[in-house]
Amino acid sequence: MRMVTYVVRRVLQIIPVLIGVVTVTFLLFTALPLTDQILSHYGAPGLHAHCGYQPSCPCSQLNPTQRGPVCVCSYPSPQNVTPGTYCENPIYYQDVKALGLNKPLPEQWANYVVHSFTFRWGYVSNNSYIGTNIQGIKGHSVASVLSGFLPYTIELAMLSLAMILVIAIPLGNAAAVNRNRPLDQSARVMSFSGFAIPGFLLGSLLVAGVTLLFLPHTGATVVSPWCHAGEAIDHEFTYSWPQSPECYIGSNTPTFPYRFPPWMPYGTTTSPTGFPTVDALLHGSYWLALDSVLRMLLPALVIAYGTIAGLLRFVRNSMLEVMNLDYVRTARAKGVPEKIVTSKHAGRNSLNVTITVLGLTFAGFIGGFPVIEEVFRINGVGEMIALSIQQQLDYAMIFGSTILFTFLVVGANIIVDVLYAYLDPRVRLG
Amino acid sequence: MATPTAPLPTTSRRRPHPRLDQAKRTWYFFRRNTLALVGLGIIVAIALIAIYAATLSLPWSTIPSYCATDYGPGNPGSGYPGNYTTHNICHSICTYEVNPPPNAAQVPGCNNQWYKTPLYANGTPKVYVSYAGAIAPTLRFFPSFSTGPMPLGGLTTSIGEETPIYDVAGALARGSDWTLMLSVSIVGLGAVVGLFAGAIAGFYGGVVDDFLMRFTDVFLSIPTILFVIVMVTALGSIIPIHGALGADVKLLLLIIGFVLVWWPIYARIVRGQVLVVREQKYVEAARASGASKGRTLLRHIIPNSMYPIFIQFSLDVGTIPLLIGALVFLGFGPEMFPAVPFPEWGSISAISVADLPIDMLGSCLVPNGPCIIAWWQLLFPGLALFFFAISVNLLSDGIRDSLDPRLRR
Repeated sequence: MRMVTYVVRRVLQIIPVLIGVVTVTFLLFTALPLTDQILSHYGAPGLHAHCGYQPSCPCSQLNPTQRGPVCVCSYPSPQNVTPGTYCENPIYYQDVKALGLNKPLPEQWANYVVHSFTFRWGYVSNNSYIGTNIQGIKGHSVASVLSGFLPYTIELAMLSLAMILVIAIPLGNAAAVNRNRPLDQSARVMSFSGFAIPGFLLGSLLVAGVTLLFLPHTGATVVSPWCHAGEAIDHEFTYSWPQSPECYIGSNTPTFPYRFPPWMPYGTTTSPTGFPTVDALLHGSYWLALDSVLRMLLPALVIAYGTIAGLLRFVRNSMLEVMNLDYVRTARAKGVPEKIVTSKHAGRNSLNVTITVLGLTFAGFIGGFPVIEEVFRINGVGEMIALSIQQQLDYAMIFGSTILFTFLVVGANIIVDVLYAYLDPRVRLG
Repeated sequence: MATPTAPLPTTSRRRPHPRLDQAKRTWYFFRRNTLALVGLGIIVAIALIAIYAATLSLPWSTIPSYCATDYGPGNPGSGYPGNYTTHNICHSICTYEVNPPPNAAQVPGCNNQWYKTPLYANGTPKVYVSYAGAIAPTLRFFPSFSTGPMPLGGLTTSIGEETPIYDVAGALARGSDWTLMLSVSIVGLGAVVGLFAGAIAGFYGGVVDDFLMRFTDVFLSIPTILFVIVMVTALGSIIPIHGALGADVKLLLLIIGFVLVWWPIYARIVRGQVLVVREQKYVEAARASGASKGRTLLRHIIPNSMYPIFIQFSLDVGTIPLLIGALVFLGFGPEMFPAVPFPEWGSISAISVADLPIDMLGSCLVPNGPCIIAWWQLLFPGLALFFFAISVNLLSDGIRDSLDPRLRR
């Protein structure tokens, strides 16, 4: 079968791209000061801190002899060290050597590539702002943290992709069929506005609107129906949605390896797969699943809106092109109803362009997630990025999540290409 | 007897130089396109406002003495950090405090509002007084949702002493120059780099093509915002923050970061177009008549494969302020880019969203509670961005339509 060889060839082609991406990240990583590089590898335990977070205590890697319930971290935090004192610090040297940061650049690069592909992306910094928001997250490896939050992002992305496909393709086709009529013009205005309205503005307006709509008349400080990452709410989910959740970091706030969607009361469910909606369905709690989908509805819409704006034009234009081709005229001439001509003959062929453009815009689509997840407090990777660039920069998280998102984009592009080849035989045969 | 010379041919009789003729024709077709003229008008208006605001060149920290009473730094004993002043004239810049300081008098005009002045180290109030009166006097007469007369056009600030309080209209006027400059320079640079890279890749093919296209693959795979974040944080950490040079370098980093992720799109588009154009008869004719490769590329291929760029360009110029706004919203405040004298529209929009005190929304449903929705600080920056994006869009559509003979109607 030619399809298999095509897929294999396409997968092999992405290897240089992946290495290139990691190389770009590496070049930026080596530009960091040496201390920051070490910190992002080890997660920077404080100068006199006792590492309360045992499961992956970075200190045990620093000093393998000091394993135990309490390991004394002798690594200086960046605030306490003035430049020039590094050389007197034997541990600093030890770390530089242990991490291979004194080796020549090509060797470091090879190391970095291997680490990137084996998900060794460092540890969440002790100084990270994430730690103040999400309890128990400090010192976990970046890959494990991101894997805990990735399911939320994937669910959100799936929902908004579905919205994009359901809205953009029929609307674009309809706009092309009704060219220069009111439908076409309004689709054009929608396309314009999607480009011109910032996602954070639209999202914040929606949050404000929903908050105003569902607010109880108590005057209590209620942020939004969306609780911040790591914050818990007090209410049962079975109330009508969204029943003014009170977000707070309290006694029953979940600690990081969440065993349930973090906005749920503690101990409601366990989380076998990590995907909140899927888990709820597995538990048979349909209310919880509905709640989880409802929470993603508005953010998914905001993300989809920006992407639809770009896609709509291409769908419309490619449909217009296809509509003028000979075979469409033939179909009409032999008496095929107009509806079937537009949906089957023209519509299917204009799908090719749509899919290509969707693959090209996927990077932009994913790039919008930090903002939207920050606005709507979705516990996804984007929220982690937003938190990790606050105040104290958490370089391990920043670089790790960049690599993760880039991998996602490359993976999505492969899927798009395979779909394209499936839809258009000329690609795989040519 | 001097022989009478023939009268010089009048310019109207003579055909102008072909290029001039071409330009005239282009202008003719452009002029007939009403939407394009509207776009051009808005852009020119923005530029004029930018020039006007720049010539005023009021500094950040001027505040007329009649505007506010300074209660002094720290309010010793009051328990409230910062410096509070009340005012009764400058309604445009009064803010709302949840817990008013004890020694601050209530403003007659503003319901429960207190004017909070951040100070410089030397005690100068760090307040930006707007040109709202000069530029958009009508903005002051919009009604508001609040219970009393509201300070119109003011950007409320609930966070940080460092955040300047400024007027929306004045801020938009002051930020318009950098909005134009940043977006056009970033997308323009990206388009130029992409144009040449794509043309070279498409024209020469082979190894060059493969190499360049793998490069575009790499940069197309990295999400834009993330790349800029990583670049600015990583390279910005080795640049000393203080000093004018450091500030300029940071701004340059931002621009370079955007350009690096921006050119591959153009390279892809142009390459696809060049692959079509290079097979055309006129290119063959040029080659047959002995044109060198460089001449063929520059004179025949590039001008004919430029049109698709305009669509992308028009979409992207409006997007840049949104992306910068997203960066600011995520926490890269204007202080990250100190070389920009005033935040551009995307940043203003982001600041206004981030500073919108949501607690106030909560108090809106309390009976007789102070209810303030600072809708103007959400609406006007958003509108400005919207009109900017639309005008660029219309303008470049018009330019493309009048340049491309196939699209002239």
